[in-house]
Amino acid sequence: MAQEQFYGEISDAIVNLDKEKAIDLANRAITEKLNLLEVIEKGYGDGVRRIGDLWEEGEFFLPELMLGGNIMQESMDILLPSLKESGTSASLGVVVIATIEGDIHSIGKTIVGTMLSANGFEVYDLGADIPAEKIIETAVEKNANIIGVSALLTTTMFGQKKIIDILEERGIRDNFKVIIGGAPVTREWTEECNADGFASSAVEAVKLVKNLLKK
Amino acid sequence: MLFHDWLNDSSKIILFDGGMGSEVFKRGIKPGKLPDSLNIEQPNIIIDIHKSYYIAGADMCQTNTFGSSFINLKNYKLEDRIKEINLGGLENIKKACPPNHLIVADIGPSGEFRPPVGKASPDQWISSFEKQATLLEAGVDLWHIETMSDIEEMKAALEAVRIISKKPIISSMTYKKTKKGFYTIMGDSLEMCVQIQEDQDADVIGANCTLGSDQMVDLMKDLKHLTDRPISLKPNAGQPRINSDNIAVYDQPIKDFVNDIGEMIQLGAKIVGGCCGTSPATIKEIRKLIDSLEN
Repeated sequence: MAQEQFYGEISDAIVNLDKEKAIDLANRAITEKLNLLEVIEKGYGDGVRRIGDLWEEGEFFLPELMLGGNIMQESMDILLPSLKESGTSASLGVVVIATIEGDIHSIGKTIVGTMLSANGFEVYDLGADIPAEKIIETAVEKNANIIGVSALLTTTMFGQKKIIDILEERGIRDNFKVIIGGAPVTREWTEECNADGFASSAVEAVKLVKNLLKK
Repeated sequence: MLFHDWLNDSSKIILFDGGMGSEVFKRGIKPGKLPDSLNIEQPNIIIDIHKSYYIAGADMCQTNTFGSSFINLKNYKLEDRIKEINLGGLENIKKACPPNHLIVADIGPSGEFRPPVGKASPDQWISSFEKQATLLEAGVDLWHIETMSDIEEMKAALEAVRIISKKPIISSMTYKKTKKGFYTIMGDSLEMCVQIQEDQDADVIGANCTLGSDQMVDLMKDLKHLTDRPISLKPNAGQPRINSDNIAVYDQPIKDFVNDIGEMIQLGAKIVGGCCGTSPATIKEIRKLIDSLEN
């Protein structure tokens, strides 16, 4: 119960865009030796999901969305090193993740990246509005297993297909598993793109990546 | 000048043009390229599109310079060509514009947001828009600053144009409909935007893009209570879907769009036209509607 309350406090701090409190609670989670995976999922992740809902409902706008994402990121910067120290062992795989060129929406992608890091993957989050070539270049350089591409706009989601087209042209499609995500992404679009999978939430994304790497 | 005569003629409804991007894609240009670069690379395509709008019955059309502000061109590494692209845009529309019709200078958003979303400052915006406006001033009859989702950026663009031009300005924000009313994605309310647009001496208060024609009718119902200035509306042809060629397509029947435009005119809109997904065929049907109202 006490833990649920703690998660609720974290979630509220994110929704209230209270950076000081969010960071303070991250430090407390470490000193009190809480289960950091749960703290991220049920506290910070929940807060950011609520911000997403408030955006959908027209209560929050871009500045709130960005501030929420930034606070989430700063909190993760505190939590992730401790999580790694606590020894979820070596990296489960390398993930390069980005929001595609022309699209500045980063929150969903940041949550997915964070959850993957939290679950033991080595994640390179390139940010938002990233050209396809740059994403591929980084994936090659980091010897990535997974490329994750987010798009929140129907006008930018064709960029997800562009990534796969370029990989195929260069004959390196089989070197990577490509996953796509974002509000307009459907199973049909995933098949049309010839992507390896899509996920509609961060938790699903983690499962998806784990499954893909088993194959 | 003609535009003021039109504004002062209470029976005149001014017909603006329709979408440019969707017409460019129809001619085989791939998405991802800045349509403005066609001003110099394939000017005939742009001249052809302008002509098709004037022939369809538009009283005025806008230059293909939506993305030709300094900051936006820089995002495409084209800032060195700002002069050619803007002047090319002017030359193209001049070749298409018949007598007694007007040329509108089009200015769109810089693509850079202010903090916390981006890093742009008002001074950077003003300097960027001023560079573009200086190039367009000599060849146009009036201005259309459009698709702004941040009233601060609109304010900067209005200031920049006013530094170098005394010509009339249509100031169009882009809104989304929320449960609480119409807001920009930066969280600016319709009411606040109109207030600032008026304070900055915009001649015409407008809205364009994002909203389909049915939602634009609802916006007009709110807007008419907020300003006495002439109102300009350029809605989208409904909401887009992505087709198998990865191009956004708009399926709304022209008839429905034109019916909504008719309602906007009844509610008091002075300038009407279309944004994404509208075509010369749309403008032609609006022309028929306006002619039937005038007779």
